[in-house]
Amino acid sequence: MKIAVDGAACMGHGRCYQLAPGLLTCDDEGYVTIRDRVIDVPDDQVAVAEEAAGTCPEEAITLLRD
Amino acid sequence: MHGDFSRIRQAGSHWQWADQLREDSPLYFNTYAQGYWVFTRHDAVRDMYKNPQIFSSESITPWEPEPIYRFVPTQIDEPDHITYRRIVNAWFSPRAVDRAQPEIRGICRALVQKVAPAGGCDFVADFALRYPTAMFLRFIGLDTADTDQFVAWVEDFFGGFSGDPAGLEPMARALDGIRQYWITVLDQRRGEPAPRDGDLASHLMHARFSGRPLTDAEILDMLTVLVLAGLDTTRGQLGYLFRHLATHPDDRAALIADPRLIPSAVEESLRFYTIIFGDGRKVTRDVEFHGARLKKGDMVYGLVSGANRDPRAYERAGEFILDRKHNHHFGFAGGPHRCLGAHLARREMQIGVEEWLRLIPDFRVATGEELAERGGGSMMTLTKLPLAWEVAW
Repeated sequence: MKIAVDGAACMGHGRCYQLAPGLLTCDDEGYVTIRDRVIDVPDDQVAVAEEAAGTCPEEAITLLRD
Repeated sequence: MHGDFSRIRQAGSHWQWADQLREDSPLYFNTYAQGYWVFTRHDAVRDMYKNPQIFSSESITPWEPEPIYRFVPTQIDEPDHITYRRIVNAWFSPRAVDRAQPEIRGICRALVQKVAPAGGCDFVADFALRYPTAMFLRFIGLDTADTDQFVAWVEDFFGGFSGDPAGLEPMARALDGIRQYWITVLDQRRGEPAPRDGDLASHLMHARFSGRPLTDAEILDMLTVLVLAGLDTTRGQLGYLFRHLATHPDDRAALIADPRLIPSAVEESLRFYTIIFGDGRKVTRDVEFHGARLKKGDMVYGLVSGANRDPRAYERAGEFILDRKHNHHFGFAGGPHRCLGAHLARREMQIGVEEWLRLIPDFRVATGEELAERGGGSMMTLTKLPLAWEVAW
């Protein structure tokens, strides 16, 4: 699985990295650091990645299943 | 419909009203004031927030399309809005909150320790009003000795803001008091060569907006809006969260047994007990939107309380679920104007629950009378919350 964040849609709610601290982190302003990027989701992070995507109020997170 | 959203009502009645409005219709035209559209469901509120180029923040109060006040950056649209936000984003970021966490806990613990031996208190007056106010002053580098003064100003301001005509004069006096306070703060810092460490007012005086310094008027506006947006909101949310804990011993026990559930319980309180009844925007062009033919200049009202409890968006929407998943609520609004203080507010609430349950694990509402809440014209908040607990000697 891969996870992608739409940088224009992300508004820095901070819910994703709160729920998936082993996968995502924030920058100095509080935005997730992978805006407009796609990264691999390790197997042990799939559940929290799904939770992060489903929790984003801006629907900015997309999961790409292999 | 013709609905006045400003009156004091029985606690919880605003959410019942929002639920009813949402289930009866996705859309209303409210003939109150000059008239405005009300969107009641999650999909429309989400789309209102996601399209700031259509839904301007020039006015965020639907019954006041031409407001005499102008909150910066709350009522500023892009591209200037993000320029203002970038000046303050880092100040209110999760990392900044991490750094302040020991102080947040210290202030919170001292307040709980003060009330604990009494076996009871008015949670609103003795804790919920004081904790966020003291924390805010500390967080921006000011003297917490001014807490009492700020508590009084915020009470008076929102007494008038909610639409009660008798509250207008105290509201104006409070606003003037807050501005005078900031003018004094700015005067004390004028001419200093470098920003004071940990001092937000000083930081703003040295900040650049597209290459120029901020004007005094902009700084005053920004500091004032932080006071008005940051103190009463946290107080309101804390009140409903603690009323829930006081009346749901099972949830209290679950949080004591597993404190890792506290963050999701806080998020659920933001969804289920949203203090924002609705959020207004001004339409910038003629557009068809979720079944309404909107005209340029129309006001719209996204019923956030309806959206956050919409069964089309949430499973078991009408229940408070401690460990709810996929909780994409708009308790901190959405879009570019997402609450600046969200990270601070949720940490204050988390620590509030942790510290309270540590010292006062078992407590109840100490009155048989109905609790009352201030109207949703501004933000819902419990006027009083008497709590009681056993004191071990």
